[in-house]
Amino acid sequence: MARKIVVDPIPRIEGHLRIEAKLNESNVIEDAYSSGTMWRGIEVILKGRDPRDAWAFTERICGVCTTVHALASVRCVEDALGIDIPVNARIIRNLMNATQVTQDHLVHFYHLHALDWVDVVSALKADPKQASAIAQSISSWPKSSVGYFKDLQQRLVGFVESGQLGIFSNGYWGHPAYKLPPEVNLIAVAHYLEALDFQKEIVKIHTIFGGKNPHPNYLVGGMACAIDPNSDTAINIERLSMIKKIIDDTTTFIDQVYIPDLIAIAGYYKGWLHGGGLGNYLSYGDFPETSLADFKTLLWPRGAILNKDLANVIDVDPRDASQVTEEVSHSWYTYSGGDGKGLHPWKGETNPSYTGPKPPFEHLDTDKKYSWLKTPRWKNNPMEVGPLARVLVAYAKGDPMIKETVGLVLSKLEVGPEALFSTLGRTAARGIECKQTAGFMRHYYDQLIANIKTGDYRTFNSDRWDPSSWPEECKGFGYTEAPRGSLGHWIQIKDKKIKEYQIVVPSTWNASPRDANGNSGAYESALKGTPMINPEQPLEILRTVHSFDPCLACASHLFDMNGKEITSVTIV
Amino acid sequence: MNYCSVNVIGLGNLLYGDEGFGVAALNSFRDSSSFPETVRCIDGGTQGIYLLDYIESCDAVIVFDALIPLDFERRVYVYRNDELPAFIHRKMSSHQMGFSELLGIARLHGKMPKEIVLIGVPPKELELNIGLSPEVSLLLPEAVREAQTIVQGWVSSPAATA
Repeated sequence: MARKIVVDPIPRIEGHLRIEAKLNESNVIEDAYSSGTMWRGIEVILKGRDPRDAWAFTERICGVCTTVHALASVRCVEDALGIDIPVNARIIRNLMNATQVTQDHLVHFYHLHALDWVDVVSALKADPKQASAIAQSISSWPKSSVGYFKDLQQRLVGFVESGQLGIFSNGYWGHPAYKLPPEVNLIAVAHYLEALDFQKEIVKIHTIFGGKNPHPNYLVGGMACAIDPNSDTAINIERLSMIKKIIDDTTTFIDQVYIPDLIAIAGYYKGWLHGGGLGNYLSYGDFPETSLADFKTLLWPRGAILNKDLANVIDVDPRDASQVTEEVSHSWYTYSGGDGKGLHPWKGETNPSYTGPKPPFEHLDTDKKYSWLKTPRWKNNPMEVGPLARVLVAYAKGDPMIKETVGLVLSKLEVGPEALFSTLGRTAARGIECKQTAGFMRHYYDQLIANIKTGDYRTFNSDRWDPSSWPEECKGFGYTEAPRGSLGHWIQIKDKKIKEYQIVVPSTWNASPRDANGNSGAYESALKGTPMINPEQPLEILRTVHSFDPCLACASHLFDMNGKEITSVTIV
Repeated sequence: MNYCSVNVIGLGNLLYGDEGFGVAALNSFRDSSSFPETVRCIDGGTQGIYLLDYIESCDAVIVFDALIPLDFERRVYVYRNDELPAFIHRKMSSHQMGFSELLGIARLHGKMPKEIVLIGVPPKELELNIGLSPEVSLLLPEAVREAQTIVQGWVSSPAATA
C-alpha cells in the first residue's frame, strides 16, 4: 500500500507550509500536495485605509520580505495616481532592492539550504590540514589556515560535548544522502558562521537610506531620505563612502566564498538532479533603468517560458485580465462567480471559508480544498517563479552577464544546460544571481554618485501627495522581483481610500495547490519522482522545498519555551 | 552591573492581535522611559536573522515577545540568560527562525551579550486584527515596569563604571 509522508510545522499555531507526499513501493514520491496552513488576509486589513499608508502595513506581512512588499506597494499606488518619482529615488530603490536580494540569497544558501547538503557532525572528523589545503585550492579567501579550521573544529567539538547543545539539533546528520567529505563539510560550516556574521553588514545600506532597519521607510512619490553631500544628517559623503565599502566587501565575499563553495558542494551532488518540476517559468522583471512602465529597460528582463522551451520567451502583461489570474478550487475561499474561475487581481475577491479538518489532524482531504494559498496561474499554466525562472528568462533572452556566468558554472561542474532544470539548478541560479545583484549594487552606487554630481538632490515628488489632486477612482499595479520571485500588488482607489487591494506573492505561485484542471503547483510538481533513501528522515523533500526559499511562516513569531522540534515528520 | 550598551527589542506581528504584544510593549517602554542614548529601542517585528546584529552588538538585551505554550497561565514571565532556549533546528523556511536560533548562532559566534532577559506573556487572541486583547493589554504595564527596573539596574550603578 502506498504510504504518505507528512512534513508539518509544530507548533501548528505558527501556521506554515505542510507537505504531504505519497510514496510508491520503492520509496519514490508518486504525488505531492502543498498546503499553506495559515490565512494572512492582509487584503482585508487594507480596505478603507489611506493608500499612502499601505506600504507600512504590507511591510508587516513578513519579517524577511519587509522591503519588497513596501516597494511593490508604493509602486502600485504611484501607478494608480500617475506619479513619476525622481531619478535619485529610482536609483536608491534599485540599490536597496539589489541589497535585499544579495543579502537574502546569501542568507538562504548558508542558513537554510546549506545544511541540506552539508553534514555538520561529519565536520568533526575532518583533518584541518586537508581542509586548509582544499580551501586554498578553491579560493583566495584569506581565512583558510590550518589553525583557523582547527580552532573552529575544537569549538564545534566543545559545543557538541557540552551536551546542553541542542544547537544544530534535529539535523539528519549521518543521513546517507549526504555526500561531502568531512573536510568540505568543515569548510562549509566555517563559511556558514562567517556568512551569518557578514550578512549583518550588507543590510546596513537599508538603514542608511531607509532611516531605520528593520522596517525601513518608503514613501509614495519617492524616498524619505534627504541627499546633501555637505550635511551632517542627510545622505552625505561619509555615508556614501560607507556604502561603497559595504559593496566592495560584499562582492569579495560572494566571489571568494559563496561561489567557490557553491561549485565545490554542487560537484559532489551533480548525480542528484531531481526536483525540476513544472518546466514553466515566469518573471515580471525588475531593476528599471528609466520609468517602471518601460519594462524594456529592466535589467532583469520580463518574460515567460513554457515546457523548458528556451528558444521561445513569451511576452507577459500582468495588467491583462486574461494572463495573471487566481482561482480557489482547492483553496479555503469562495468566489461569488464560482471557485474554479480564475479572477484577475483587479477583480479579485478575498472571502475566507475554512472547510478543512479541525486541527490537530492527521491528513488533509486533498481531493477537496486543502490550502490557505490561492492558485495563481499565467494563461492557465502553473508557473515557477524565483531565481531559476529569472536566470532562465535572462539566459534565453541572451543577457551577456548571465550567459557568461551560467556557462562558467556549468563548465566547472562539467554538466550541460539541462542540469539547470533541477533542485541543484535552482540553487546554482540563486548563487549566479547573487553575484549579479552585487554587481547591480555597484552599478546603482555609481549612478547615484553621477546623478548627485549634476547637482540633483531631489528624492521626492510631492505633486500628487495631496489627495485633492487624485481622481475619483483609479487603479494601479506595482511589481517587483523579490528574492523568491515575482511579487504583484494590485490596488483600486475610490474616494481617496483603498477600495480593494490584492497581493500575489512568489510563494503562492510556487506553493500553490492544484487548479480546477488538476494541474499541480511548482512544489508539488518538483517533488514528484524523487527517490527517498529513508522516508522517516525526508532530507530529499527538504532539499527541494528549501531550494524554492519558501515564505510562509513569517506572519507569526512566538517565543517557544518548550519546543525544540519545530517541524514534525509523520508517516501514515 | 553597568553596561555601555543595552538593546531593548520588541518582537511580534502587529497584524495578528496578541502576536503584536512584544512590539506594543516596546512602544510603551519607549514612550514611558527616559534612559540615556546607550539604551536603544528596536521594533524587531517578525524579523529573523536580521536581528542578529542587535543581539551580538551590545552588552545586554531585553526582549519582549509573546510566549508559547498557550496553556501557560496568563501572567508576565521573566526569563534570564541560561533559562532561554538556544538551538538551531530543522525548519521549512528561513522565515521560521525564532529568537532561540539567533541565540544559538550568537553563542557559536562567541558573541552572546553578557545578559539577556526575555519578558513575555502568553497570547489570548491570535486572529487577524490590529490591537491587543483586553486580557493581554492589562498585563502590558507590568511587563514594561519589569523591563524598566532591569534596565535601570543596568545603566545606573556608578560604582561599576571604571
